[in-house]
Amino acid sequence: MREEAIKQDIENRFSASSVTVPRRQRIIISLPKDSLFSFIAFMKEEGFLHLSSIICVDWIEEDEFELVYHLTSFEEGIHAMVKTRISRTEGTYQSMIPLFEHAQTYEREIHEMFGVDFIGNQRLTPLLLTDWKEIPPMRKDFNTREYSERMFEHE
Amino acid sequence: MNSGGTDTKKRQLTLYFGPQHVGMVGNFSITLTVEGDTIQKAAANPGFLHRGFEKMLEDSTYIQGFPFVCRINVMDPDPNEQVYAMAIEELSGLEVPPRGQYLRTIILEMSRLASHLGWLWAYANELGFDTVGHWAMAQRDYFLDLFDMITGGRVYHIYIWPGGVRRDMPAGFAAKMRGTLDGLEKSFRDYDAVFFNNRVFRKRVEGVGVISQGDALRLGVTGGNLRATGLARDVRKVEPYAAYDYMDFEIPTMPDGDSYARAMVIRGEMKQSASIIRQALDKLPAGPAWNRVPNPFKWRIPPGEAYVRMESARGELGAYAVSDGTDKIHRMAYRVPSYPHGILVLENLLQGMNIADVGHMLLSLNIAAPEIDR
Amino acid sequence: MDRANIRKAIKDPHKWGEKYSLWVTYFCTGCGIMEIPPTITARWDAERFGVKPMATPRQANLFLITGYVSIKTLKAIIISYEQMPNPKYTVAFGSCPIDGGLYYTSYNTINHLDRYLPVDGWIAGCMPRPEAIFIAVTKLWKMIEGGMVDGYKRYEENIDYYRRNQERVLGREFIESSPAPMTEEP
Repeated sequence: MREEAIKQDIENRFSASSVTVPRRQRIIISLPKDSLFSFIAFMKEEGFLHLSSIICVDWIEEDEFELVYHLTSFEEGIHAMVKTRISRTEGTYQSMIPLFEHAQTYEREIHEMFGVDFIGNQRLTPLLLTDWKEIPPMRKDFNTREYSERMFEHE
Repeated sequence: MNSGGTDTKKRQLTLYFGPQHVGMVGNFSITLTVEGDTIQKAAANPGFLHRGFEKMLEDSTYIQGFPFVCRINVMDPDPNEQVYAMAIEELSGLEVPPRGQYLRTIILEMSRLASHLGWLWAYANELGFDTVGHWAMAQRDYFLDLFDMITGGRVYHIYIWPGGVRRDMPAGFAAKMRGTLDGLEKSFRDYDAVFFNNRVFRKRVEGVGVISQGDALRLGVTGGNLRATGLARDVRKVEPYAAYDYMDFEIPTMPDGDSYARAMVIRGEMKQSASIIRQALDKLPAGPAWNRVPNPFKWRIPPGEAYVRMESARGELGAYAVSDGTDKIHRMAYRVPSYPHGILVLENLLQGMNIADVGHMLLSLNIAAPEIDR
Repeated sequence: MDRANIRKAIKDPHKWGEKYSLWVTYFCTGCGIMEIPPTITARWDAERFGVKPMATPRQANLFLITGYVSIKTLKAIIISYEQMPNPKYTVAFGSCPIDGGLYYTSYNTINHLDRYLPVDGWIAGCMPRPEAIFIAVTKLWKMIEGGMVDGYKRYEENIDYYRRNQERVLGREFIESSPAPMTEEP
């Protein structure tokens, strides 16, 4: 199976990674945050040319953000989810713009919604919100119901 | 303003295009830096339709999420339900019976047709072909009647459900569907004569807004916009979902990557959609249309993560779901096709174009503002 | 039109013109806008009722607020509304502008539109079908005839109340930059 071959290849090259194949056409790779950039560069050379999206998951109990980079190889029909965890209090990470130009917009959104700073991204300007003064809204400790009632249910 | 041509210095102006603008279809805004009529720099300004679905989904049970997700894209609502249902099914291991898969295929292709006909209305209107716009919108309405018949709603359907669909096809639906498809296929003759093969239209769109194949791959373009650059990539073929594995259809492509190529790809897709619906109606298996969902108030899904994707009318639609074992989802994130198209691709394309091309480009790239904002 | 109606129209041409030429501001504020294209095109044909979209708010007298209003859109709605000449009417679509509806808990959509702008009519449902839009138009006719549509007057009279609520959501800066609403009758 092609997925297993890729898994073997990754495990040989990046010893710090843990790779699982949950089903056909999917690979999940977890990496420590310092080797992620070189790993994504490696995946790009392997034919994973399409960055589908970057998604941030807030794990508040562990005090960590998980960044998930979704890479697709259309030739092989395989979708790889490359995950790494960063500290929630620090909240900075390096930008993927040198590898994928359109990472810019995804990083802008994560910056706005979670408050993660991407070093190397020059355009971390507000994207969807306007004049936002609270903590970033997609964080788990932001209570949207309480905010809505406080802001819009006055009189 | 310059006078007499002696003064060559030009003034740079900042122009706000939208959200209230006659060339703007949808609630979206672009800030243009113009010199004369030429755009120096464009900056997309989305967020007018931001409702925070991803946050609200974390606050609702799995079934409560369905009324939310269809509203992510008003032009093409059913694919959003489909990816949400697929994600839940993958996480919980729920199976869909074959009849349910076929009914899903029918509703998804109807949604694609309705979306493309809506696009044809908007695009024809924008370029001044009002008659074609009227035809296309009236044609779309016949599909909305069919939606009404099968789901009870014209625009939002909430028809796709974990484990299948919400109800079976009513009596007389297949015959009415075939009649409507006949009408659509017949009217292509008119659309071609008045719009797609019209010299005025071709002069306006040929060679305008060219995206090269390299740029498209670099900027994450998917869907019809990528197929218009000559690459036959379609999630329905790469990773068949619903009943697409049993359907016989082609992927229309065009080589040039300009507005004309994109319009012709959409035209080809409409024909393919009609053929897929016919095949699905012919092959529709007997049996149940859904598997029972556990009690939605007590439905806990085991911890795990899933990424599912499909081809919506605009490109690759994906959903990443993380469950933490409770009755509510931990994180549900959407990967929407208009997101790269509507921001970076649009900004890059508009540079050097005329102000008159802004609305045209937005529609040529088939951008849906609600999808970007979510 | 029969003889009696002609006589009535001649007596008060202003009201007659107002009633049958409801021109809509071209602004897609929410998802309810999706039912407007079918309504204004061949199949439902809103022009039978004198309703048609207008390019700029300065030529329009009917503002359809089609669905939920996000904070960013509210700003644009207020700017557009204040540009419209008197008399002007607002009709809000669906349950979202009434009390937040589905988006009650959302951090980016307001819950009660009538605290920021005067609303003359509400159409229930998500989303209202074209028939519902036409019923709303005929109701609006009756209200115009009876002189019951006074949203724009209420806005001028209670401007402090509206401005206070707008400031709460949109900030001081926005209020300071917006001029006082138009007060003269045409």
